[in-house]
Amino acid sequence: MTFETMTTMQSFILDIPFWIATVIFITSYALIVAEKLHKTVISMFAAGLMLVLKIVDQHEAFHMEELGIDWNVIILLMSMMIIINLMKPTGIFEYVAIKSAKMGKGEPFRIMVIFALVTAILSALLDNVTIVLLITPAVIFIADALEVDAVPYLLSSVFASNIGGTATLIGDPPNLMIASKAQLTFMDFIVHLTPIVIVLMAVYLVLIMVFWRKRLRTRDELKERIMAMNEHEAIKDPVMLKKSLIVLSIVLVGFIFHGALHFQPATVALFGAGLLLLLAGTNEPHHILAEIEWPTIFFFMGLFIIVGGVVKVGLIKSMSLQMLALTDGNLFATSMIIIWFSAFASAVVDNIPYVATMNPLIIEMAQQLWPNLSGVQLLQHPDLMPLWWSLALGACLGGNATAIGASANVIVIGMAEKAGKRISFLKFMVYGVPVMALTVAISSLYIWLRYYVL
Amino acid sequence: MKAKDLMVPLVDYLRPDTTLKEAACLLRTARRSEKHIGVKALPVLDDQRSLVGILSIGDILKAVYPSYLYLMDLGVFTWDGMVESFAKKMSGRKVSDLMTHAVVTVRGDSSLMECVDHMLKNGVKRVPVISREGAVVGMIYERDVFYEITRSMLGKDAKECA
Repeated sequence: MTFETMTTMQSFILDIPFWIATVIFITSYALIVAEKLHKTVISMFAAGLMLVLKIVDQHEAFHMEELGIDWNVIILLMSMMIIINLMKPTGIFEYVAIKSAKMGKGEPFRIMVIFALVTAILSALLDNVTIVLLITPAVIFIADALEVDAVPYLLSSVFASNIGGTATLIGDPPNLMIASKAQLTFMDFIVHLTPIVIVLMAVYLVLIMVFWRKRLRTRDELKERIMAMNEHEAIKDPVMLKKSLIVLSIVLVGFIFHGALHFQPATVALFGAGLLLLLAGTNEPHHILAEIEWPTIFFFMGLFIIVGGVVKVGLIKSMSLQMLALTDGNLFATSMIIIWFSAFASAVVDNIPYVATMNPLIIEMAQQLWPNLSGVQLLQHPDLMPLWWSLALGACLGGNATAIGASANVIVIGMAEKAGKRISFLKFMVYGVPVMALTVAISSLYIWLRYYVL
Repeated sequence: MKAKDLMVPLVDYLRPDTTLKEAACLLRTARRSEKHIGVKALPVLDDQRSLVGILSIGDILKAVYPSYLYLMDLGVFTWDGMVESFAKKMSGRKVSDLMTHAVVTVRGDSSLMECVDHMLKNGVKRVPVISREGAVVGMIYERDVFYEITRSMLGKDAKECA
C-alpha cells in the first residue's frame, strides 16, 4: 500500500459521513441479496436515508451526473417498455413464437435451436427481461403441444436471452448503465461486443446439443399439432403492427446513428415512444403507462442515489485504489479480474447494483491512472476500454450461472413454477454453470487477443 | 328479510384434503333446492367446521387452464383434447390448492342489501352465512336474492311469474 492510500485510509476513520454512507450501502446490498424484502423497497428507503442524513443533497441526487440518478438509463428503459407495451396487443410476439415452432417443423430439438436464436436476437434488439416475459409462455405452450419436458426449452431460451442481450447497448441493463457512464455509443457495442456474442451463440448451440438433443422425442401426430397452427391468426391489429414496426425501425436506425447525430440513446428511445403513442391514436395512455415496470424503474433510481452516496464520501475511490494496488496498475490483469469477478459476483448478486457500483469504481481508477485527462478522453482512454468490455461481458454472462443471477432467470423460473414445471436452484446450476464458465472463458480469451495481443 | 330467512341451510360441503375428482362429483350432485341439482360452488370447512375457503366451478376452470395462456393470446392455437388432458392431470389435486381462500361472509341477521353489497363489490355469486360461533350455517345464492328482489318489483303480479 502506498503512502497516499495509508493517509487517506486513516482520515476515513474519523469521517462520520463516510461510515454512515458505507453502512447504508453495505446493509442495503446485503438486504437485496437476502431477498426478504422487495429490492425496490430497500433501494428507495436507503436512498431516502442518504438524502435525509445529508450524505448527498437533493441537487446532487437529482441533477448531478456523477452522483445522482442516471436519467439516460431511466428514460431509455421506460421508453422501450412503452414501445413494447404498445406492440404486445398486436399479436406480433405470438406470431413470432408460432412461426418459429413451425419453422422447426415440429422437430423438438430444431425448435429448441430456433427458439434460442430468436430469443437471442430479440433480446439484443429489445430488452432481454421483456423478451423472456413475452416468449416464455409460448415456449411452455409449444412444449406442451409436443408433450415434451418444457424445462430444457425454458433453460435454453433464458440462457440465450442473457447471451443475446450482451450484444448491444440496449440488450441488457448493465450495458445500458455502462454506456451511459462511459458515454459509449450503440455502434461501440456493435463493434466490440456483437462479434464475440455471435461466436458465443454458436458455441452455445453446440452446448445445448450436448445437453438435450438426445433427450427430446415426440410423436408424429404431435408434430402435426404444431404444423396445423396458422401463425397469421395471431395478428390482432395489422395496422398497429405496421406502425409499431416502422417506429421500431426508426428507433433502431436512430440508435445506430445516435453517436454521429450527437443524440443520447434515451433521446432516440423517448422520441420513438412518443411517436408510437401518437400513432396509436390512444386517448387513454393510462393503461399503457401503468404497465411500465415501475418497481424496476424505482429500484434503479434508488440505487443510483445509494451509489452516489458512497462515491461522494470516497468509499468507491478507496476500493479503486485497492484494486490498483492489487494488480500493480497492470490493466490486462485488471481486465481479467474484472471479467471473472463480475461473472461470479453477478451469479450471486443482482448484476444491476453490481454494475452501478463498478462503473464509478472504474472511473475512479481511470482518474488515478490519468490525472490530467477528463471527459471522454478519460472515460474512453484506449487502455481503459477493455475494462468496460470486461465488465459488460462478465456482468451479463455471469447471470447465467444461477437461478438468481439475472432478472430474466427469476422471471422464467417464476412463470415455469406457476405452470407446474419446477426448476430447482440446483437444476438451474447444473446447466447454468457450464454455460457461464464456457462463455466467460471464451470472452476472456477474446479480451486478451483483441485488446492485448493483436 | 334477513340473510337467515333466504339462505339455503348447509348440507354439502368440501374438506381441504378432498381431491378435485371427489369435489367435482359433489358439485354435480349437491342440491340447492328441490328442483335444482348441482351447485356452482361449495364451502370448504376444516375439522372444526370453520370456513377455510370456497371452491367454485370458476376455480375448476382455472385449474385446467394453464397459467401461461393468461400471458399470451394463444387460445386460437390450442388443440383438441388439451383441456381434457389437463383435467385428467388435475383430478388428484387437493381442494385446498385450488379453492379461493379469501371468502366474504355475512351473519344470519345481515340485511339483504349487505348480501348484495358483498356480491357486487367482490364479484361473487354466493355468500356463506356464519353463525355467532363462526360456523357456516347456510349459503345465500345470487339466484335466490334475484327472486326476492323481483318479488318486490312485481308486487301482486308475482304469482303470474312463478
